[in-house]
Amino acid sequence: MDRDSVSRVELLQGTLDLLILRTLLAGPTHGHAIARYIQRVSEDLLQVETGSLYPALHRLEARGWIEADWNLSEKGKRARFYRLTRLGRKRLVAERSKWEAFSRAMGLVLNTAGEEGH
Amino acid sequence: MNTFIRKLNWFLHSPDKEAELRAELQFHLEEEAELRRTDGLAPQEARSAALRKFGNVTLIAEDARAEWIPVWLDRIFQDLRHGLRTLRRDRAFALTAIATLALAIGLNVTVFAVMNTMLFRGFPLVHRNDRLVYIQEHYPSGAGTITYLDFEDWRAQAHSFEGMAFVGEKNISLSYAEGRSVDASAFTISTNTFGLLGVKPALGRDFVPADEASGAAPVVILNHRFWESRFGGRRDVVGASVLVNKAPATVIGVMPEGFDFPTQFDVWMPYVRGSEVTQRTPEAFLAVARLRDGINLREARAELETINRRLETAYPATNRGVVPKVDTYSQSWIGPDAPIIYGSLWVAACFVLLIACANLANLSVARTVGRWSDFSIRIALGAGRGRMMRRIFVESLALTSVAGVLGWWIAKWGVRAWAIKTASIYQILDYTLNSGTLAWLVAISLAAAILFSLAPMGRVLQIGVKSALKSDAPGVTPGLRGKRLAAVLVAGQMALATVLLSGTGVLVRSLMNVVSADTGVRDPENVLVGLLILPSEKYPGPAARLGYIDRFEAKVRAIPGIEDESVASNIPVNFGNRRTFEIEGRPNPPDGADAVQFLSVGSDYFRVVETPAMSGRDFNGGDRTATLPVAIVNQSFAASYWPREQPLGKRLRFIDRKKPSDWLTVVGVVPNIMQGDPTRRQFKPLVYLPYRQATTVLGANFLLRTGVPPAQVAQAVRTEIQKLDPDVILKKFTTLKASFGFDPDRMDRAHSEMGKYAAVAPIFAVMALLLAAVGLHAVIAHSVSQRTKEIGVRQAIGAAADQVRTMILREGMLPVAIGLVVGLASSFAVNRILQSQLVGVSPYDVATMTAAPVVLILVALLACLIPARRAMNVDPAVALRHE
Repeated sequence: MDRDSVSRVELLQGTLDLLILRTLLAGPTHGHAIARYIQRVSEDLLQVETGSLYPALHRLEARGWIEADWNLSEKGKRARFYRLTRLGRKRLVAERSKWEAFSRAMGLVLNTAGEEGH
Repeated sequence: MNTFIRKLNWFLHSPDKEAELRAELQFHLEEEAELRRTDGLAPQEARSAALRKFGNVTLIAEDARAEWIPVWLDRIFQDLRHGLRTLRRDRAFALTAIATLALAIGLNVTVFAVMNTMLFRGFPLVHRNDRLVYIQEHYPSGAGTITYLDFEDWRAQAHSFEGMAFVGEKNISLSYAEGRSVDASAFTISTNTFGLLGVKPALGRDFVPADEASGAAPVVILNHRFWESRFGGRRDVVGASVLVNKAPATVIGVMPEGFDFPTQFDVWMPYVRGSEVTQRTPEAFLAVARLRDGINLREARAELETINRRLETAYPATNRGVVPKVDTYSQSWIGPDAPIIYGSLWVAACFVLLIACANLANLSVARTVGRWSDFSIRIALGAGRGRMMRRIFVESLALTSVAGVLGWWIAKWGVRAWAIKTASIYQILDYTLNSGTLAWLVAISLAAAILFSLAPMGRVLQIGVKSALKSDAPGVTPGLRGKRLAAVLVAGQMALATVLLSGTGVLVRSLMNVVSADTGVRDPENVLVGLLILPSEKYPGPAARLGYIDRFEAKVRAIPGIEDESVASNIPVNFGNRRTFEIEGRPNPPDGADAVQFLSVGSDYFRVVETPAMSGRDFNGGDRTATLPVAIVNQSFAASYWPREQPLGKRLRFIDRKKPSDWLTVVGVVPNIMQGDPTRRQFKPLVYLPYRQATTVLGANFLLRTGVPPAQVAQAVRTEIQKLDPDVILKKFTTLKASFGFDPDRMDRAHSEMGKYAAVAPIFAVMALLLAAVGLHAVIAHSVSQRTKEIGVRQAIGAAADQVRTMILREGMLPVAIGLVVGLASSFAVNRILQSQLVGVSPYDVATMTAAPVVLILVALLACLIPARRAMNVDPAVALRHE
């Protein structure tokens, strides 16, 4: 296999939603672009499976955090564009601070554990 | 909530959304391929690489969709779509199933609604009917009315009731502003009655206690029907002044539409206790009372019995042996056996539904077997059995839902037809379909869906993966177990049909016994009868009425084609009034005078009914009020009271309220004519009096013996009556023969309910028989089609057509025989329940018990022979090539 074989990180449960919301903060875009954006920005560490991406998009839409309508893509094809809603923005803030608290906590614990190992 | 609406929106626009989802995924795929192409892959390769990376498109689409719709719901809709598709392909099956079920459900709901009305609903618009009881007193002489003073004692002493009201009865004449007078029937009720029933007037006010005080200004409340027909529904009628028996009274209200209590009457008036109520003499109709919370019927009954025992001691002269009768609505108004009658009718309807379900079970097992390979392949491919069973159930549910909706319409019409056919002026019945009926419809529809999908579900469970792979051909036989199931269902259907047929048989024979009983009247089809309603304002007393009747007779006798004419206080078979009497030289014992029916008849009455020779003389025009009071007795009377004596010249007299009448001399003895026995089995003792010697107002019924078919003179009779006095109303104008037919108002309560039953039971029996036959036919036909190859082989190796037929018949008739035996045995038990209602026929009537199985066997044979003939015509060559 080509570049798919690059070592990559498994997405944690629930983090995909946060990544999608963050991606859409930059502006409306379609599913394929979202996947590509996450992959590029994470330096190919994060690979978004189509099998989780679309169910996630529809889940977020069903909850009212994002909205979708049909628009023309940069290449002039009809694509479904997703956009953050007001509710989604609020959600992003909440999720983000939750995630930051979590990763800080993870870092603290892991670092302490490392020191004790010596 | 918002989320829910968004989901709902998705759901409602499902087909568009599905397409959008597909388009979205397609776009992704194309973008991906595009990306690969820019990486330098050939277009074809880029596409497949993209697809590889993408994964299962359908699965992803399904997962995305699942975010919107719960999976189970989605699956059920898939099943429903699939089911409807298969049913559309198998239209014959779907239509048969829907028609059968709709009929069976419709019939069942009709009967349920009727039973509900008869047993539980009570009077329309009344609050909590189930807590109301109806009280009468039973006297040693047998009459059932009540005494006002007893009622007052109950009301004062009993603790079982929240309230108690008194209902009397009175015929009045009523006239209003335009000066026109109409006869109205009235109930005099205690002023608390409507409050007790929980019904308020639609217009104006209710009675208040002051209205029943002695000397209060007379007031009336109108029945809605009467208000519309006589007052044109004018709202200013409240406060209007009317004349009640020539005394002024004020209209204070109009009751709501549809309200009648306790029978169909025009006007309610307060029961004003007059000075005449000093004695404890039975004078009114009944009392109605509402049970206090926590008190049941038995306790209330016991309390009133105790009070009546006290009254017995206190007033032995009037109250000896007087027992209170405390009844529920159905006991009081429908009859003591109502629960048995309507309960068993309902069970019969459930039998029919069961038979229908068994039929459909058989049919769908056959279908399952037909779709065997379809199911097998699905299971081999990994479809869950649960999924298959759900699919079968959803299909059944779709069918029963359609059938349920149709059934509701059938029930609506059925109940209406029943209500019209069995209407009786003595019963006020609320037939509107209510939520209870709807709940029952839903419940039986669901039960039917479950019942008739159980059998095919069982078959699916038997499909093993191995057998599924092995059996490839459509000719797979259903196997022994499937056949046994079909046979059991057929036997069960036959058993139920036998029970219904034999039960119906004895009921119908019983009704025929009543309707066609010997009445003693010759050729009643050539006698016209009618009732003349003379307005009491115009014809206030007996003399004025007799004057009209003289003129009437002169006119009618002149009509060509009429041979004889007479008037009578009632027509043959109907109830005569009863009076206590005494025979000269035989004083009555102090407590217990004999009562006998009497009938006032005009001269020529016995010529009209054409009784054969009488001894003594007939009444004649000379028997008038001024002449010697005379009587004619029937043979039954003569045999009971003067068994070995000559009745002619003997004397008897009536005693009304302890006051004896003049002595009546017996001038004739006539052969028996049926009168007053509701079951028409017995000629009861009867005294005939001359119509023109009567001192009281009598019913004016006329009887006309015609020499030509009655229909030819009927119009002339109508015209003469109209010409003579347009205010006189002609009612119940028909032939005497027709008046003997089934009429709920002419039979006693218990038997009239049974008569209604007997009138509808044949519908059930015929339906059950037809359904069972159709079911048997389907099973045998299916079996024959499955065994085409086998039959072909048999014929190829030399089996005669007869042998094939015998084989098929044996297969079909064995379960029929078993069903018959079980059914007959059950019939004996079931018919015993009907025993008390049967007239002149044993519940184990030999003719019925023989005829029912014979009819069943003949129909079953026919149902088997049709497919058997097809089997005999199988061409071995074709059959063998069939595979």
